[in-house]
Amino acid sequence: MKRYITYTAVIFTVLLNCPSGIYGQAKGSFEVSPVSAISSGSDDMAPVILSDGILFCSNRKVNPFLTKKNLEGVRLYELYFAPFDENGEPGKPVRFSSNLGKDTNIGPASVSSDGKTIYFTRNYIVGRKVKKNESNKLGIFTATRNGSQLTDIQSFKYNDTASNLSYPYVSADGMYLFFCSDMPGTIGKYDIYMCENVDGKWTSPVNLGDKVNSADAEINPFLHSSGRLYFASDRAGGPGGLDIWFTTLALGSWTKPVVLDDPINSEADDFAFYAVQGNLEGYFASNRRKSNDDIFRFSNTIIRWSVCDTLRKNNYCYEFIEENALKNDTIDVRFRWEWNFGDGIKADGVTAEHCYSGPGVYDVSLDIVNLITGGIEKRQASYELAITDVEQPVIASPDKIMAGENLVLNAGDSYLPGMDIARYYWNFGDETVSSGLEVSKIYSLPGEYNIQLIVSSKPGAGGVVREVCVCKDIEVTPDGN
Amino acid sequence: MRENRYIHIVILSLLLALPAGVNSQEVPGPDENIPFLITFGRQGGETSWGDDDFSQTFFFTVPKDYKDPFYIRIYDPDIGGKTDELNNFWNTRMVYTIFGGKGCYTDPQAKGIDPSGNYKSGTMLATRTFGMDNKLDERWFTFGPFNPADGEYYPKFSSNVFKIICDGVSGDDGNLYRYALSRRSDANVPIEGANAFTYEYTFRMWNNNDTSFVSHIYPYIDSGCIYIRQRNFDWDNDGEFVVVSVERKGQSMPLSGEDQWVDDRMPILDAEIGKSLDFRFYKKRGDLVRNNNVVMTVENQYGENLQFFSAPIGGVPVYKPRITVRPKK
Repeated sequence: MKRYITYTAVIFTVLLNCPSGIYGQAKGSFEVSPVSAISSGSDDMAPVILSDGILFCSNRKVNPFLTKKNLEGVRLYELYFAPFDENGEPGKPVRFSSNLGKDTNIGPASVSSDGKTIYFTRNYIVGRKVKKNESNKLGIFTATRNGSQLTDIQSFKYNDTASNLSYPYVSADGMYLFFCSDMPGTIGKYDIYMCENVDGKWTSPVNLGDKVNSADAEINPFLHSSGRLYFASDRAGGPGGLDIWFTTLALGSWTKPVVLDDPINSEADDFAFYAVQGNLEGYFASNRRKSNDDIFRFSNTIIRWSVCDTLRKNNYCYEFIEENALKNDTIDVRFRWEWNFGDGIKADGVTAEHCYSGPGVYDVSLDIVNLITGGIEKRQASYELAITDVEQPVIASPDKIMAGENLVLNAGDSYLPGMDIARYYWNFGDETVSSGLEVSKIYSLPGEYNIQLIVSSKPGAGGVVREVCVCKDIEVTPDGN
Repeated sequence: MRENRYIHIVILSLLLALPAGVNSQEVPGPDENIPFLITFGRQGGETSWGDDDFSQTFFFTVPKDYKDPFYIRIYDPDIGGKTDELNNFWNTRMVYTIFGGKGCYTDPQAKGIDPSGNYKSGTMLATRTFGMDNKLDERWFTFGPFNPADGEYYPKFSSNVFKIICDGVSGDDGNLYRYALSRRSDANVPIEGANAFTYEYTFRMWNNNDTSFVSHIYPYIDSGCIYIRQRNFDWDNDGEFVVVSVERKGQSMPLSGEDQWVDDRMPILDAEIGKSLDFRFYKKRGDLVRNNNVVMTVENQYGENLQFFSAPIGGVPVYKPRITVRPKK
């Protein structure tokens, strides 16, 4: 909660009313651990993953003898950079830059994909004492990387000293800039806005609207390559305090936000979600361990096969061909081919088609009727047709449901002979999972979801566990709400 | 080609030696279900009785390893009595002549279907003329004994070949008869591995209108045969003619009308090469056609006449359906 104190007392009051939330539908989807190498006894937050390390902001002591404070004696935030070691682990942090501002809060920040431009939050008043009755709100600034230096600090076009503008996030393609503000037009305490890059210039900020922005505060926007916009909010509906939510732009409007499950969200403040593009793994901040904010790493523990067989339909329909008659084109009206499919059904013709009711072993035979004599030559050929179901796990479910509707998925028709099944694991295609022979799922958002059913056997000889996967697409249509 | 030809000769030799020929020396053969051969007297040249040329030639093959004397027997050789076909009054004479020696088979004109030119090639071994003779009515007459070495040795068959020609030299009655090759003069005792064949088959159909009375003749399909052309004469549209083989359940072929030739081509399948076809003749179910005498020939794409063996080479071809079952897409 202290992260608001840093920036604005307005927001601080908002955060005192953290509601208790609900838990999501699937636990254990993520593995969370604190990043000890960059933790301090102070507040560390707003991680940004760069190619060579992590950029974050902290109000830690600059060194054991120096704590960065403003002229009023308030402890200030500064940007730090923790370079990755050879194992890709963040190492000892160092101050990111010394020339982004003096006696001011610096951060959170965002860096363009090419690494040349940094968007960062900073107080408007820099390098002097704030006068009595003077507010020193937050604005967004940019700096250009020039070798190892950051230069050419520019104020964001829409900065207004009467409003706070903070938490900039520039999209990976450089086309969108998200930020948070309490500027006029804000719905709640603090809203997310978006500007679009048109011909190198940012368009006027657009409030993301009341589906995304609540009456409470929304901070730390982050757009993932999946299309999800993650943010933190202290609105009702989460486990408590600040929680991490996401929304998706669908058909031109943002969908109803969904809160992430534990262990990412907790009853404490969880915020500043930042993931690598492509995979859902990265960092976030939380004060769950103690009163100060720490940076945590999360990784996705959801099992999802990169290659999973598509659910195949059992086929009980067959074609029957008398090859010699067909090949030699000697079909003659003086003879009639009569097929007995072995299930009491018969058909005439050199070729025939028949659909059985289900698996089984069928004694298919062919009689030939001599139409000249009327004689029947019985069982001139026969074929033992063994029909089995496709050896696969089976997902029994409707193909289409409405958002908010309870979807029941059943694996009871799985045909896996010889497999002593230990677990039915369901990946619902939206980073949620479940297990069991029959499970339920409610999709909040319309869309196309690829459900995977992964069936594991009990350990066999040598402890070998056999696993098979099958997937099925489910269309979730808008529920009309 | 030469190598293939050699292989084919070996195979045919083996086939001719099969036990299937044990009972085959009766002509028509037991598998053919044909009651009689028939030859009419040539007086007046009337072919509408069902004989196009008043002559019938058959060949007998005696395996080269068979050294004992043998006999050629004729059932009901006379013309008159119960089993022949009367026209006004019995006035017909038939000459049966048996040939052996060089050229009796290999002379090109011996293999023809017209009794012309040197069709009586080879060395005459025996001959006899028959007219109305009650003593021989429905009885067997025996020619022989013959020395197998007196035939013409034909390497492709590994056999000595003899020829018997029945010529209707006078009169206009129809002579119904059968042949048999025998080890004994007084009974039909077959010679193992022997066979009989003709290039033009003139025979009598059964006198009934029961389609279960199916007659067969068995042309042998030699290697290199691409298609055959069957020709049939004076069938009086009496029923159905279908061709059966190991891969052909029953392909319909046209039958001729009264005093008429009709012909049709049929492509030969790979699986039919080196085997016999089964020409099946089903009598008409409705109106009974009595005393129907018919003629059948078959030739390959080169116009070479093919043999009808009394005991089908390779056995009676049996069609075997081949089932494929596959999932419907």
